[in-house]
Amino acid sequence: MEVKITRQKNEVTAALIGRLDTPASLEIAPEMDKLKADAGGTIVLDCSEMSYISSSGLRIFLTLRKAANEKGGKVIVKGISNDIRSVFMMTGFLNLFEIQ
Amino acid sequence: MNFSYISKGIKAYARAGLLLVVVAALSLEATAVLQYYYSRKGIRNEAVKRAESQISNVRLEIMDVIDQAEAAVRNSVWIAGWCLDVPDSVPSMVRRIVNDNPEVDGSTMAFMPGFDTERPLFAPYAYRYGNTTKVKTLATDDYDYPSHEWFTEPVGRDTGYWSEPYIDEGGGEMLMTTYSVPVKDKYGRTAAVLTADISLDWINSLIDSAQVYSHSFGIMLSREGRLMACSADTLGADMILDKDTFSILKEEMLKGTCGNMAIKHDGRLHQVFFAPVEHTGWSTAVIIPEDEIYAGIRRVGLMVKFLQLLGLAMLVLILRSVGKNQLKYQDLTEKKERMESELRIGHDIQQSMIPHTFPPFPERRDLDMSACLVPAKEVGGDLFDFYIRDEKLWFCIGDVSGKGVPASLLMAVTRSLFRSISMHEDGPGVITSKINEALSETNENNMFVTFFCGALDLATGQLRYCNAGHNPPLILSDRIRDLEVHPNLPLGIASDVEFQEQEEYLAFDDAVFLYTDGVTEAENITQDQFGQERMEAVLHTRRSARGHLEAMQEAISAFVGEAPRSDDITMLFIHYLDKDAPASGKRHIVLRNQIKEIERLAVYIDGIVEEMHIDSAVGTSLNLALEEAVTNVILYAYPEGKEGLVDIVTELGRESLTFTISDRGTPFDPTAMPEVNINAGVDERRIGGLGIHLVRNIMDSVSYSYSDGKNILTLTRKI
Repeated sequence: MEVKITRQKNEVTAALIGRLDTPASLEIAPEMDKLKADAGGTIVLDCSEMSYISSSGLRIFLTLRKAANEKGGKVIVKGISNDIRSVFMMTGFLNLFEIQ
Repeated sequence: MNFSYISKGIKAYARAGLLLVVVAALSLEATAVLQYYYSRKGIRNEAVKRAESQISNVRLEIMDVIDQAEAAVRNSVWIAGWCLDVPDSVPSMVRRIVNDNPEVDGSTMAFMPGFDTERPLFAPYAYRYGNTTKVKTLATDDYDYPSHEWFTEPVGRDTGYWSEPYIDEGGGEMLMTTYSVPVKDKYGRTAAVLTADISLDWINSLIDSAQVYSHSFGIMLSREGRLMACSADTLGADMILDKDTFSILKEEMLKGTCGNMAIKHDGRLHQVFFAPVEHTGWSTAVIIPEDEIYAGIRRVGLMVKFLQLLGLAMLVLILRSVGKNQLKYQDLTEKKERMESELRIGHDIQQSMIPHTFPPFPERRDLDMSACLVPAKEVGGDLFDFYIRDEKLWFCIGDVSGKGVPASLLMAVTRSLFRSISMHEDGPGVITSKINEALSETNENNMFVTFFCGALDLATGQLRYCNAGHNPPLILSDRIRDLEVHPNLPLGIASDVEFQEQEEYLAFDDAVFLYTDGVTEAENITQDQFGQERMEAVLHTRRSARGHLEAMQEAISAFVGEAPRSDDITMLFIHYLDKDAPASGKRHIVLRNQIKEIERLAVYIDGIVEEMHIDSAVGTSLNLALEEAVTNVILYAYPEGKEGLVDIVTELGRESLTFTISDRGTPFDPTAMPEVNINAGVDERRIGGLGIHLVRNIMDSVSYSYSDGKNILTLTRKI
């Protein structure tokens, strides 16, 4: 699992590359936690190269979403595959995030 | 065939070529015009300079003579004055003038009529006669000297005077001119005229000698406009004799200034450069035909034109040859492209002739099979085919000798024969014989086909087969072995060969692996062959039919590396299954309670998904559900720091999969967890509880029990 973070003026993009299973979620959690600091602006989670997500990955997404809600920013989820879309559907995440 | 784009290409090319030639011609012409203009200017300047120097030479020479003559007379004027009183001394004085001055041809001292009372007319005249000087008198009855211009003019003007040139009738018919000066007596009255005659014949030769162009000529006009000298040839003389031309010339020249004029005669333009000769009132001119001035430049111009045309002609030739090459190249490229595209089409046709839907029989539980044909070039000579008829699997594999298009054509023929003949023949032996017969009859290129044909009775496991020179297939049973085959001749060699059929029985779970020699003879860069041993090694691992073929291709690719592929690779894997058996039992894995073990779990689930030919989206969700359930155990079943195990058994049923997950940790029922509200807003959403929610969603049933000190979670999913 690899995370590539790029910052622009008022927007930070985290590209998630690979399988976001439980071990991977634990591995990237500290780095993703830092993104809370950007929750006042726009956080883009680029999932176009993410092949899989489990609940621990979803937890990271939800944590950021809550932080954004507190700070008045927003979280955009980009490029999800059909498999991941169905996981988002099952968990009601489609309603929580702006999906692009 | 479509040539329109070629001709379009030619037109575009010709247009570009024409444009190039036109541009080259224009720039050459512009250069030539510029060069002509400046050269012409230079040449004209040169002509002017030459004419002027010619004129000035003539003038200087004349002035030299004139000055001498004038000096001879002037120097003698005081003696002449003295002679007035002694008329008898006059003859000797004039003789001396002639003797002392070589330019002077004759000299006289002519008294004013009546000055000497004794001799009313007195004019002794000394003149050159051969090498001597003679003296005679001009005062004769038929020569009334006081009426002659040379006498009247200086008297009237009271100054030195050059007479109009005249032809001397007395001596030698020469053109002469006379310089006369009045001689005064002691009272200042004009008493006589002293003269010196000079011949003008040398002016002709002077003018003749200085010819600046081959048809140019010089002329000398007297004060009155008489032609004193002319170096003209016929052409020039003709011009001088032409009254109109001459009068224009005369008028301009006698203005007494230096100048230049153009004059047209007989259609030819002439440049006239003229200048006056001081003292005498004469005028001299050089007349040059204009075309002669520019003859040089015209010659150069013609040469330039010639070179230009030569250059342009060469340019055209080069463009044409380049164009031809271009067309040739275009033609070749087009041919190559056409061939490539035809080969691509050939490839597609060939691939469409063999079965290409996999798994081919998804509804059959008694058969898992897969096949592939990877041609080394666009088209190849390998073939395979299979279909089910009368609950029998009919199949064949073959390899045509040779490669490329010829091989691919024979491959197509063989496959068609197999399809048509096997449809109504009832045994691989007969089928093979009939195919051989048909192929041998028409085989004029001496190509042959190694061929293996089989029919597997899916009800009984009976395998009837016939081999025609093909490598024996492998049987994967409790061990891997070659199927026993009669070698037999390949197809297409002799028409009257009988092909013997053989028979064997397959047990459930046995498999047949058929291949062409492209597999075993695949070579790496050091020309080692893949070989049967490596091939069998791949087959030792238990996989689905498709998994075997993919693994084999990967193994071959890894072995061959960068070396170019030389032969087609064709494989058929037929796995014979018991359709009534519970799809072959259980798959078991034990994991430690560490998060990293989730990766092993994923591999385990993927294996089951592949083995059961489960759709990949379903596979992903199974993976997710199992991960969630197992993660739950790993993280929470055992107290922190305590090592424990998670045991997973998967039952592969015909219609469902059942996963039993057990551990010896603290009793915990995940199904008792409250359901998460997936419609809650962001703030109300709980972070946890998603895992079991996903498990419930994906699985068709989820149940928990605790027995024998074990948490047992059972998950079922229909497939």
